[in-house]
Amino acid sequence: MQERVQISDEQINRELLSGVLHTPLWFWGLVLLLGAVAGVGVIAAGFLVYFGVGVLGLNRPVFWGFLITNFVFWVGISHAGVMISAILRLTQAEWRRPVTRAAEVLTIFALSTAALFPLIHTGRPWRALYWVFPYDFSRGIWPNVRSPLIWDPSAIFTYLTGTILFVFIALVPDLGMVRDRTTGWRHKLYSVLSLGWEGNPRQWRLQAVAGILLSALILPVFVSVHSIVSWDFGMAVAVETWHATVFAPYFVIGAVHSGVSAVVTMMALLLWIFKLKNYIRPDHFDALGRLLVVVATAWLYFYVLDFFFGMYALEPQEIANRTLIMFQWPMSFMFVLFALASYFIPIPLWLSRKNRRNITLMFWSSILVNIGMWMERFQIIVPGLMRKEPFTFTWGGYAPTVVELAMVTGSFALVGLGLLIFSKFFPLIPAWEQKEGQLLQDEVQVGRAKVPGLVHE
Amino acid sequence: MHETAATKASALSLLEEQQGITRDLLGRLAHAGPRFWLVVTVLGILFIVGIVGVVLRLQGGLADRAKWGYYAATFAFLLTAFQGAPIVSLATRMVKGHWRRPLARASELFAVVGVLSSVLFLIMLNIIPPVQGRRTLWFEWPVGAPYLFDSLAVIFLAVCGLGLLYTAALPDIAAARDRVPGGRKGLWTALALDWQGTPEQWRLQKVALGVLGGFYLMFFVFTHLLVSVDYVMALVPGWKDNIFPAFHALVGLQSGVAITLVALGLLRWVGGYKKYIDMEQFWGLSKLLLALSLLWFYFQWSAFITFWYGKQPGEQSVLTFLMFGPYAGLYLTAFLCGFLLPFLLLIWNVVRRSTVGPFLAGCIVLVGAFADRLRLYVAAFSVEDIKLHALETVPATHLPDSADLMIMIGMVAGAILMYLLATRIVPPVSVWEVKEMLHYRVVRMFMKTRVVVLAKPE
Repeated sequence: MQERVQISDEQINRELLSGVLHTPLWFWGLVLLLGAVAGVGVIAAGFLVYFGVGVLGLNRPVFWGFLITNFVFWVGISHAGVMISAILRLTQAEWRRPVTRAAEVLTIFALSTAALFPLIHTGRPWRALYWVFPYDFSRGIWPNVRSPLIWDPSAIFTYLTGTILFVFIALVPDLGMVRDRTTGWRHKLYSVLSLGWEGNPRQWRLQAVAGILLSALILPVFVSVHSIVSWDFGMAVAVETWHATVFAPYFVIGAVHSGVSAVVTMMALLLWIFKLKNYIRPDHFDALGRLLVVVATAWLYFYVLDFFFGMYALEPQEIANRTLIMFQWPMSFMFVLFALASYFIPIPLWLSRKNRRNITLMFWSSILVNIGMWMERFQIIVPGLMRKEPFTFTWGGYAPTVVELAMVTGSFALVGLGLLIFSKFFPLIPAWEQKEGQLLQDEVQVGRAKVPGLVHE
Repeated sequence: MHETAATKASALSLLEEQQGITRDLLGRLAHAGPRFWLVVTVLGILFIVGIVGVVLRLQGGLADRAKWGYYAATFAFLLTAFQGAPIVSLATRMVKGHWRRPLARASELFAVVGVLSSVLFLIMLNIIPPVQGRRTLWFEWPVGAPYLFDSLAVIFLAVCGLGLLYTAALPDIAAARDRVPGGRKGLWTALALDWQGTPEQWRLQKVALGVLGGFYLMFFVFTHLLVSVDYVMALVPGWKDNIFPAFHALVGLQSGVAITLVALGLLRWVGGYKKYIDMEQFWGLSKLLLALSLLWFYFQWSAFITFWYGKQPGEQSVLTFLMFGPYAGLYLTAFLCGFLLPFLLLIWNVVRRSTVGPFLAGCIVLVGAFADRLRLYVAAFSVEDIKLHALETVPATHLPDSADLMIMIGMVAGAILMYLLATRIVPPVSVWEVKEMLHYRVVRMFMKTRVVVLAKPE
């Protein structure tokens, strides 16, 4: 990292805890706005529950549409947290420090939002509880553990639990700081949450070991979650275009691509909204941009493998599916948009260092990536179903309804609302990590130049 | 700028240390011990045995594809393990880790094996039939497929690898030209291209390494795609597996790391490079090897579970053929050596932070990679009618004969021989990179302890 900023501990505490200790007026305005949009989504979900799944645009043979696309999309976004936190912590990348907690919290809210969609999709979501708690074994009917639809909840809830633990362990030192600066009910709340944190050497050692262990343990979970979601499709032999061996790594790398892009969007918003220019610098966007170029290129490789080898056997459903996606309106238009948005516009831009350090450009290009990646998930799910039948007279179409659009829009507002409320109670940038990073920074004289250096851990 | 006596003294001591490194590493180029020449002689004899094996195989003709399975597997092993090694250097260069400096050249030197694998590939071109009338990557494209495109990929990969090695070694070749006496001075002078170490030359070298590194990685993945599909997947009826090319390339990356670890171990304990090759290099590579071994399992599981779960007859036959039937033993070896044993070894920090543990893991992974190539290529080449829609009967195991054994041992010996001979021209530890490291590494007091501070220039 070329930029070396030395900030006093007192200034770090003041700037990073200000969001927790003080509430500006714009905060309430934003909460109301996001709450309203999320509320529209909730009303739409209520509309679906009351009137039934007929209010959706689904019909034979397209049984999965916008809601499942959105589910896969949000599971994808949730991969950013572990990618940035765990992997960059284990590889000791210093630039991760201001980014980790926000990415992990994005994971929690993205995953929670994602989990809502299959439940809503059942049409009668309360039955999920009714079916499961307590499970009726007396009729000799057991959960079908061969179904990826049983693997999904296990994987998602394991990942959610692991991420919450991960966030909490990293949060404890900052909770201690907030406890010492609050009074009344807030002091009591933070006293409980901070678990008696005093910052003595033994506690720091335990916290560091716990962080490293969790980083290593959550990595297989991170890979398994989206692999299992991909196998919801990959295991289905009825939809020929879904039955591909590459789906697991393809979905995972796509998730990392969209997730890290979402982190870029979020970091830019944090910088502008909370005025954190001492902590979130062009260096971080430069590093994220370089990571994204590598990840996006790997994603493109897997996309080409899936697309190309899908046609390898020249099966009729595969050819019909590709023809629909590439040459028939409006799918063809969406295909071009998706290709440009997810790779061919952002990546050439990100090859330039000057562009990577331009925060506004990084913000808009990262949003473009996620628009493209949402369309990518749609293009995997819906055209495959539209052309899954062998006879053309059984082919179907799909058009989303207002209810689906409202729920999808509401989900974005819900995640934003979650992040905003989180920032009210907990600092989004880890203060202790910033201080630790500063302690480990140094300079080395190389010839006549002073080069930034780091203490080798 | 006013220099203090302390700064001057420190700069002088740094200069002396760098000169010491130059003298030591280049001095080894001047003479090789009798042990080295003994090993070279043995490898040379084995290589000749391998060539005899190829000649014997050629006498049987090219029509019977099954007889060439072991030859193809050996070629694939050289492509996988030896030509995967340079990626270790270029990938670690991209992430700018200083620990990579002593191992960079050891991994780049494996690029010379590209010459041997290109020659071996010429025979393989004549073994597979044209693409018309069968399922292939090329969809019956009439011009150049697959022979021209596959050859270009293999040759470009070899040329790119040699270019990468040459560019990275250029400063050391120039240093050898200036400092090492003997008969090879003319060769070094010709190769050094008037390198003087000017700032502009260093800048161009850095750019060239970046570009060549990017191209090498792209060609590596692309070549694996072409070779794996044309010489394995397309020869097994009913096998449609989108992850297979990626898996094939992944085994290349994994065995590239493994062979680099083995080379580092041998350089440290037998080559006398203990001063330069430390636990840190083994530690860094062992983490990478652990991750790649886990990915090995992940890719294999993704392919297996999709096929097994679907219970499609064609796919079940492929699973039986390649995993649980005639080549089950090889598959088990590949599974154990490619994933389970390295995983069980490398999950322990105490093993990763040693030199013997990662070396052992590297040897195990190489055995697994060879077993994997054998099961894939021997199996694929043993299918008689490749134009069927699906694999109706699973062919029996094709066992090696004496010519096959001669080829396998001889060609691997030939590859190692090429590596050793290359170390007589280019030092196996990069002189300029190790010297550069001295500028970036200082020892300071931090709180109450001494720590190493590493500079991180852009």
